[in-house]
Amino acid sequence: MTATSPMLLLGIGTAGARIARGVSRAYGENLRFVLTDTDATTAEGDGEFTLLGGDRLAGRGAGGDIVAARLAAEDSISRLDPHLEGVRLAVIVTCLGGGTGGGATLETVKRLAALGIPSIVFATLPFAFEGEDRQRNARGVMSMLEEAANATFFLPLDKLVGESDNMSEAMRRACDTVASGVTLFWRLIEKPGYIKLDADHVRRLIQGVGRGRFAAVTCQGPNRAADAVDALMRSELLATAQAPVRAILCGVLAGEDLRLSELTTISNGVQETFGERVTFDLGTVNDEATFSGRLSVVVMLFEMNGREPGAPAVGGALSRRKKAKSNPLGVGPTGRGRFNNAERTEWHGEDLDIPTFIRHNISLEF
Amino acid sequence: MSDLYAALEIGTTRTVLAIAEAESGKRLKITCHAEIPSTGVRKSQILSIPDATQSIRSVLREIEKRQLAQGSKVTIANAFLVVSGQHVLATHAEGQALVNSGTVGNDEINEAARVARQIPIPKGRELLDIIDQDYVLDNRGGLADPKGMSGNILKLNTLQVHADANRIRDAKSAAEGARLEIREPVFAATCAADAVTEDHEKKNGVLVLDLGGGSTGYAAYVNGYLVSSGVIGVGGDHITNDIASAFQTTNAQAESLKITTASAELGQYAGENARAHIGGFSSLMESRTISRRALDTVVNARLKELFTIIRETLEEQDILNHLHAGCILTGGGANLSEIESLAEKTLGLAVRRGRPLGVDGLEKENNPWNFAAVTGALLYAQKTDDSGSFFDGLFGRFFK
Repeated sequence: MTATSPMLLLGIGTAGARIARGVSRAYGENLRFVLTDTDATTAEGDGEFTLLGGDRLAGRGAGGDIVAARLAAEDSISRLDPHLEGVRLAVIVTCLGGGTGGGATLETVKRLAALGIPSIVFATLPFAFEGEDRQRNARGVMSMLEEAANATFFLPLDKLVGESDNMSEAMRRACDTVASGVTLFWRLIEKPGYIKLDADHVRRLIQGVGRGRFAAVTCQGPNRAADAVDALMRSELLATAQAPVRAILCGVLAGEDLRLSELTTISNGVQETFGERVTFDLGTVNDEATFSGRLSVVVMLFEMNGREPGAPAVGGALSRRKKAKSNPLGVGPTGRGRFNNAERTEWHGEDLDIPTFIRHNISLEF
Repeated sequence: MSDLYAALEIGTTRTVLAIAEAESGKRLKITCHAEIPSTGVRKSQILSIPDATQSIRSVLREIEKRQLAQGSKVTIANAFLVVSGQHVLATHAEGQALVNSGTVGNDEINEAARVARQIPIPKGRELLDIIDQDYVLDNRGGLADPKGMSGNILKLNTLQVHADANRIRDAKSAAEGARLEIREPVFAATCAADAVTEDHEKKNGVLVLDLGGGSTGYAAYVNGYLVSSGVIGVGGDHITNDIASAFQTTNAQAESLKITTASAELGQYAGENARAHIGGFSSLMESRTISRRALDTVVNARLKELFTIIRETLEEQDILNHLHAGCILTGGGANLSEIESLAEKTLGLAVRRGRPLGVDGLEKENNPWNFAAVTGALLYAQKTDDSGSFFDGLFGRFFK
């Protein structure tokens, strides 16, 4: 967070810290970021650091144990509070499947929500070769993150690297790819442009949003705008729809040479590809020093939480709730909505601030 | 010159101010009233004093504007504060007096009342009201007037209605910020009950439900006196939140759906495929439609639960079966379509909406039950004034 920035970057776990540091390096300016991990060695390097579960794990890490990481986060999540003063939007980078990323991310998001800070989560999903246990761990956290965070972008690592990539390099490359995408998003919000998008605009945009899709491409040359649209159309990160798109946020980052016709090409291309009849917001960044001769496009697709257009989200909410109940983490959605920070009203042990139809599992016929 | 009274309600969804005048002992007339949407209030609790102050300033300005349109200007210096919220509690307290002569006289009755009023309320609470219930002379209870009866020990049962002192202080601070002094806090549910019930209904047993934005107050009367009162921390805001949660709408859209479309009962619309329209609130959202049945199911579930809680509460106290005059609904929540029907089925009582009685000035109001609590506060103010305990110099009045 720079002196005037209302955004804070949070890197969770060893891999999340790596991505956050990558974003900071790529951003190239005084971007403030905070890292949290159960492993004390993550503190070695740039960024403010908060050790989770010091008493419980002695800074040795969670050893891939998601429950141990969650308990560690529960013990010490309030240590984050001093870092969160004045923050209006938190961007979290994390990797699901492992211990701290899987266990501490949810607690972090919940803490942010308790403090009234909206959160956007960029979370990578494990490679297929990492095995079913890590995949299952990640899946278990995904639904709860969708409930707790304002917007979640899940990025399967398999889709971030090519099949021919060197295996030992795959993780590093994947983290770098995520970092570059998040950096572009950061620039889009922080840097002035002809069409400004700021943190408050994003705050409004992500109200009530669940899962999203995210991709960023960079092109150069005379046809760079059309090439960018083409690359986005082919992007696997944008291809796997969980639900129809509700809104599109599109950012175009370029130098002084950005042409109006290029904006038109990108705007039309993205809308035609991902949804012509949905809300579309376009922002631009002019940064000659970074993008001279190049053009980057960031696309965020906000989905309808698994609903058909016009249909309510109750079925989804109920099914997610049931999943959460059976989840080993045992953390369900609050459902308290606008009463999140209000005093509770209880009756026979039930939290009356949670909608009745949810508590009583009343199915709604749409 | 007439006496003037003002009552302020800082509700979860709206801030209401009403002023009334009456010559001593004459019928009260509400000369001006205004309501504006509240800010900084959640579940009947002030979350931001500056925001609440701003709401009070706005409603004062609105009153001033309306007064000027009527050709007069009243500078309101202070007002009675209508209090609601689940922090309001009613607890039983008892005063005793020895009947030395063997026959109850005024001295014993006064002594029992004095002792009952000296019983301290819990720390951190502010007393809103002490309501006399019945007298017990030795083992004979349910006595309305024991004067002249024979016995040894006279007891007076009372209900102490008290609220979180900090909440009251917050409301006072908000009002003071708008240069409005709070004379006395009064409880919304009993005020509403006093405004909409007649004596014979209280004698026959009546329940008044004041359905507010952040909470629902109740007051049950049997044999002419208050037997039970309290607040459930569920109000119209919960219905709005439920709708917003079910259909992923903004609160404004959910509120609009609740007011214009939703029904407390299922099946009150034509066709199984009836749809309700949700307008887009900004460029970020498109308009869409939702199932009417689904909408009503959400609302029905919430209200049925609320009425069930009230029913169970009164059943536990053995009161429900004594409410022969039925139930009266007041507050903004009473406007919901078909709410009377649902309340009737759930409570097992005859239910109607409550129009304030004993006052003039609300004849043109489409939903006069919205103003039941402030009307009750004004009636209380008049009654207190007539008893001569205070209320001098509340207003400066200027006629143009």
